[in-house]
Amino acid sequence: MRLTIIGAGPGGYVAAIKAAQSGASVTVIEDTDVGGTCLNRGCIPTKALVASSEMLAKARESDKFGIEISGGIKPNFSKIIERKNRIVSTQVKGIRGLFKSWGVVLKEGRGSLVSANEVEITLKDGSTGKFDSDRIIIATGSRPARIPGFPFDGENIITSDEALELTEIPQSLLIIGAGVIGCEFACIYRELGSEVTMVEMLPRAVATEDQEVSSLLEKEFRKKKIRLHTGVKVEKVEKKDDGVHVFLSDGKELIAEKVLVSIGRSLNSDNIGLEKAGVSRGARGEITVNEKMETNIPGIYAIGDVTGGMMLAHIASKQGIIAAQNAVGMNDVMDYSVVPAAIFTSPEIASVGLREHQAEEKGLKFRTGRFPFRALGKAHAIGEIAGFIKIISEESSDKILGVHIIGPHASDLIHEAAVALKAGLTARDIAGTIHAHPTLSEGVMESAEDVHGEAIHAAKK
Amino acid sequence: MNPDDVKYHKEHTWVKVAGEKATIGITDYAQDALGDIVYIDLPEIDASVEADSEIAEIESTKATSSIISPVSGKIVEVNEDLSESPEVINEDPYGKGWVAVLEINNTSELDELMDSSAYEKFTEEESK
Repeated sequence: MRLTIIGAGPGGYVAAIKAAQSGASVTVIEDTDVGGTCLNRGCIPTKALVASSEMLAKARESDKFGIEISGGIKPNFSKIIERKNRIVSTQVKGIRGLFKSWGVVLKEGRGSLVSANEVEITLKDGSTGKFDSDRIIIATGSRPARIPGFPFDGENIITSDEALELTEIPQSLLIIGAGVIGCEFACIYRELGSEVTMVEMLPRAVATEDQEVSSLLEKEFRKKKIRLHTGVKVEKVEKKDDGVHVFLSDGKELIAEKVLVSIGRSLNSDNIGLEKAGVSRGARGEITVNEKMETNIPGIYAIGDVTGGMMLAHIASKQGIIAAQNAVGMNDVMDYSVVPAAIFTSPEIASVGLREHQAEEKGLKFRTGRFPFRALGKAHAIGEIAGFIKIISEESSDKILGVHIIGPHASDLIHEAAVALKAGLTARDIAGTIHAHPTLSEGVMESAEDVHGEAIHAAKK
Repeated sequence: MNPDDVKYHKEHTWVKVAGEKATIGITDYAQDALGDIVYIDLPEIDASVEADSEIAEIESTKATSSIISPVSGKIVEVNEDLSESPEVINEDPYGKGWVAVLEINNTSELDELMDSSAYEKFTEEESK
């Protein structure tokens, strides 16, 4: 069985390894570097920068921990970027090594479909080649969306791609779009010393999260002196001698050294030969797939961002596994019922399941339990007390519907909730499970207790 | 000791009136109950405030609570120093730890509030 995969991001490379494990002969075509956006321009490099900015924040409050640091504490930005690049290149080598060990053939160039069982590759030097394939998986991903008419120059008006490759910390940074990407960069560059202003069209930051989570993040932004303008559109962006001028729909004019546009991502579904093979697309250009990750053309699968669903690396990877298994003859389907997601702001945000407003919209009767991190001894010990854990459970069955965390290590804490949701557990199941002391996880237990007004470390209501 | 020249609200805030201007803050009892104050989310200038409603949010190492305005009015000044040094509220709740100044339009609201001796009794009851 010959399988060709176009794109080696977290969808494509995982699919490649999975298919190779099942005995397929796998070729992967990638035109930049293995790991895709996630590893080269997304999840991993941003987390490297987050780690540096958090280290800086910790160093700045070392005095509170009884540690004296002599001499000044300041970021060395070129070293921060170097460290980030080193981490990325190590991970890239890791994937290449995995390919080698599983016998996956990596071809570097641009892949595009010629027919339902032929893929053409165009190498950097312009030469082309063809691969006959029994099955094809399209995993071409996405790229930062650009607003037409904005004078992007890659230097002062930039996307997240360039925000990872700056040579100096900007004196001032204006971020258009207070979603996941915008908010992560806001925290990174604010800690490094930039004056940060954000503009968001929607009424709140991280608008896809639970409303209470957005409110607390906005308060943390105020603490950090990150200015946030919500409910306003950007009408025009103009480069002038004194910086980039941004004109808002409410009449305000803002000026910053650099403007980062993080308004979402565009799908890489053009110029990959979809029409030649007859693969159909939806209204946004997304490749339409069924729950088996099959396109309308038998033998051709599509996974990840290019299918236009939840743009998460771990969704792409799971879809890659499903597509790979189906390509080698199994019959597997995607299950989107439990998808944890994390945002690496300061403090972190993580969620799984329904937001409170979604539970309301569905007409469900539910209870909520909340527990603040500042009521945990461990949170005080590590000096990170901001935030809370919120559990939503169905009134009649007590089954957990959603869990929302903003606070220290939220991205790790969420998985207890994800397992609970997947297993159909109740708030009392979590509340009745002994949690080790002293941990932040005790907050998950206490918020589950609070669903029934029984949290031990909360005053009587 | 609670000063005599201010009036007290049962949500542990105080107000000191001079003409149409009313300075408000939290009481010594409140700062003691909250413990180390780490942040105050100050109100915006020109915002109008109703008596008995939240004027600001305050965070201590123990809890996050609302600061309830004892009077109605329009905010004309906020204590910006608190955004850098919220601990001043612990140190000097009736002085440098003031929160905001309101322009008030209804002095009859003041009659609803407690004087220092009534407030003292009130807090003694509360702490029983």
